[in-house]
Amino acid sequence: MKNLPTLKLSSLWARLKTPLVVFVLLVIWELCVRAFKIKEYILPSPIVALQHLFLPQPDANYSWIVHIRITLNELVISFLVTSVLGILIAIGLAWNSTIKKIIMPAFVFLNSLPIVAIAPLLVLWFGYGLKTNILIAFLVSFFPVVINTTVGLFEIEDDLLDLVKYLHGTKLQIFLKLRLPNSLPYIFTGLKISSTMCVVGVIVGEFVASDKGLGYIIINSQYTMDSPPIFAGLMLVSLFGVALFGIVSALERLCMPWQFRGRNEN
Amino acid sequence: MRDGSKPLLSLKNVKKTFTTGGTELKALGDVTFDVCPKEFVSIVGPSGCGKTTLLKIIAGLLPKSSGEIIVDKKDFDITREVGFVFQKPLLLHWRKVIDNVLLPIEILKKDRKAMEERAQYLLALVGLEGFEDRYPGELSGGMQQRVSIARALVHDPKLLLMDEPFGALDAITRERLNIELLRIWQETGKTILFVTHGINEAVFLSDRVIVLSARPSRMIESLDIKLPRPRQQEVRVQPEFGAYALEIYKSLEIG
Repeated sequence: MKNLPTLKLSSLWARLKTPLVVFVLLVIWELCVRAFKIKEYILPSPIVALQHLFLPQPDANYSWIVHIRITLNELVISFLVTSVLGILIAIGLAWNSTIKKIIMPAFVFLNSLPIVAIAPLLVLWFGYGLKTNILIAFLVSFFPVVINTTVGLFEIEDDLLDLVKYLHGTKLQIFLKLRLPNSLPYIFTGLKISSTMCVVGVIVGEFVASDKGLGYIIINSQYTMDSPPIFAGLMLVSLFGVALFGIVSALERLCMPWQFRGRNEN
Repeated sequence: MRDGSKPLLSLKNVKKTFTTGGTELKALGDVTFDVCPKEFVSIVGPSGCGKTTLLKIIAGLLPKSSGEIIVDKKDFDITREVGFVFQKPLLLHWRKVIDNVLLPIEILKKDRKAMEERAQYLLALVGLEGFEDRYPGELSGGMQQRVSIARALVHDPKLLLMDEPFGALDAITRERLNIELLRIWQETGKTILFVTHGINEAVFLSDRVIVLSARPSRMIESLDIKLPRPRQQEVRVQPEFGAYALEIYKSLEIG
């Protein structure tokens, strides 16, 4: 009971240290810009960049909130599509080793293509807009989920399989009761990596396949050398990335209580 | 205990040869014995003599190369009425203790709800009352192996196969679980086939000890242990206990 206050303090510190570090870095950035009188189009101060969020943005057709909503919308849909399709693909690969042998090289090939470079081609084929954007985000981010889930589905002790086999359980039972739950930690590792790559994919998609969204603002402001909106956009994009990663982590804790139960008690 | 009753399980000239990369390895030379209902039979033998292989063949986890395993299908369905306790606890770490115990019920597609009470009873039987909602990671090795014993009993099997279940535990825990296993055996009336390399453990637990030779293994001795039951630790210091152990040592040529 005696060390309760220190415990609380340390948990408060654990919660606040990351935002604090970010804040300190922003202050240093602000001070550097002021001290060295850096030109705004090269490096705007964070305050100037954030102020731009409340100004009409250069395009003037839409307000920031419209662009934010569009990017968020694309991000959520793309990540859902990537997660669901990625896991389903991995299940297909794990179900049958012949399928895996045939399709896996194709995925490796697809993943080693620079998607940024073939994005214009995709626009040519599928046109401007949401669908193409989601496709680009998917292609950029699907690989980690697929690979990790596949590994997780295979990575099971043979002895555990005996547990089901001696009672003459089916392949489906082995899958549902052993392989799938066993692969959860792998799935979430894959989802975490994919979540950040999905943000990249959405922005790349907006560069080439959209006339709205934060990616569009960034590329459009670059033409006019108007740096503050670029930085404002970047700050928002990274904030979304961190938030998505956080949501996946929270979901991980929720889905795998056994992973975290022991630690709380020690 | 086996006098007069017909065997639950008969092994006749069971042989097993593993073939890996062109080389043949004779694991089981020729094994023949019966196990009677409610009997506690132990199999001892030098390591690598195919004790585990034998249990896996009986459980249908490995095909035998030749020989017969005979059961009366009317009163013993060997595909569903076997419980297996492995060397390692093999608990599913994502399932709570109670859900681990109920795994065979799910695999055999029996009514889970109706069996929950039985699972609770079995957990109490193995001394784990109140641990239903823990995860395996929160339990000690001995407790995990108790859970796996409850799991092997949950579908009310006629035959319990135990493959060195206490081999990985410390001596104190092992001896405590030996006594508890006898209590569980007496309370549930199961037939147990118990593999071990502990000669004292085998004598302490069994009605009969079957001694296998080194690979390719044959049965070199089948020894009835006529020590009184119920057995407590005192049995271990009786002269008869030592005599039985010595006989096994001798037949293994280490006496």
